[in-house]
Amino acid sequence: MSDAAVEGKTAKVPGVRFYVIRNILKDKASGGSLAPGDKGGISVEAIQAAEAEFNKMAEDYPDWVKSLIEELFENYRRCIDTPEIRHEKVAVIHEIAHDMKGQGGTFGYPLITNFGESLYKCTHKSEQASDNLVELIKAHIDGMKAVISGRVSGDGGDIGQELLESLEHAIKKYSSPDAD
Amino acid sequence: MADYDFGLFSCLVADDSAYMRTLMSASLRAIGVGNVKTVDDGSAGIDFLQLVQSDPMKAGMQNVDIIFSNWQMHPVDGMMLLRWVRRHKESPNRFIPFVMVTGYADKEKVREARAMGATEMLAKPFSVVNLGQRLLQVVNRPRKFVHTSKYFGPDRRRNQREIPPGKCRRKIDERNVEVVHV
Repeated sequence: MSDAAVEGKTAKVPGVRFYVIRNILKDKASGGSLAPGDKGGISVEAIQAAEAEFNKMAEDYPDWVKSLIEELFENYRRCIDTPEIRHEKVAVIHEIAHDMKGQGGTFGYPLITNFGESLYKCTHKSEQASDNLVELIKAHIDGMKAVISGRVSGDGGDIGQELLESLEHAIKKYSSPDAD
Repeated sequence: MADYDFGLFSCLVADDSAYMRTLMSASLRAIGVGNVKTVDDGSAGIDFLQLVQSDPMKAGMQNVDIIFSNWQMHPVDGMMLLRWVRRHKESPNRFIPFVMVTGYADKEKVREARAMGATEMLAKPFSVVNLGQRLLQVVNRPRKFVHTSKYFGPDRRRNQREIPPGKCRRKIDERNVEVVHV
């Protein structure tokens, strides 16, 4: 790679330097058979095979996410019994929630993404970990447990709606100034 | 449209979630990618890229064609891996296509990743079709790289539209432009 010219972040450039890179990947993927400007695609069979693989993994998702919920619960428990390290534990919960919000929808459990996203948002400021926040964390964990134990996939219909409503109720309850 | 054969492709997947690593690598292989290696954070990614350069036999890869990296990882995240790839003097290939996989969906985060030189973004949750689309974007629509005093990475002006006048715009005139073919 002749990239000596880009050595170092502050390398001197005349103003703007453009690097036009030969499209080696296209040559590799097409065996060099495509003319410049022509584009290739992915075969329907390949996409179907990948989707089959994806779906197979999605079947195992509830079991896997259970372990994350247990991890959340363990951190929640520590928030209660060891308040002096509560902010650390809330930060861990925040990270797990981030992971969960990105994955639920991928595997057909958008409710886990919803709960994960909400938990991620409300644990954003771990240093302000009040008792109310800990209760709110618990409400999220309970909701996620219900989703997974009931295998509530998709939007969950009436049950899904009910779970989301009870979460909203908990958010209102524990976010109000006179919640205690 | 002809179908690509990705059998000769070598991809690196970085994700700290074992589940996502398996999902991503299994999906890429099913799409036809011949060689996929996975690492569990940015630091392991850097080690692997260096290993590919120093001992490709041991790495099991002659080179890395595309990196798919999760953003949020510990201890070294996807942004730090991207920064190393684009800017570090020991980076084996500063032009390597880098797909940032992320649960961050807000525009500010996308801008941040692009400013660091991400080639494409893949938002979570994603589907096999989304993954395939990013792969095709990289192959079908490669971008030239730009090096200015403030930026090094793929040209962020994917669509060459007319640029409205403004003092912060990159100045394009023959006197301060150099084109290098690599």
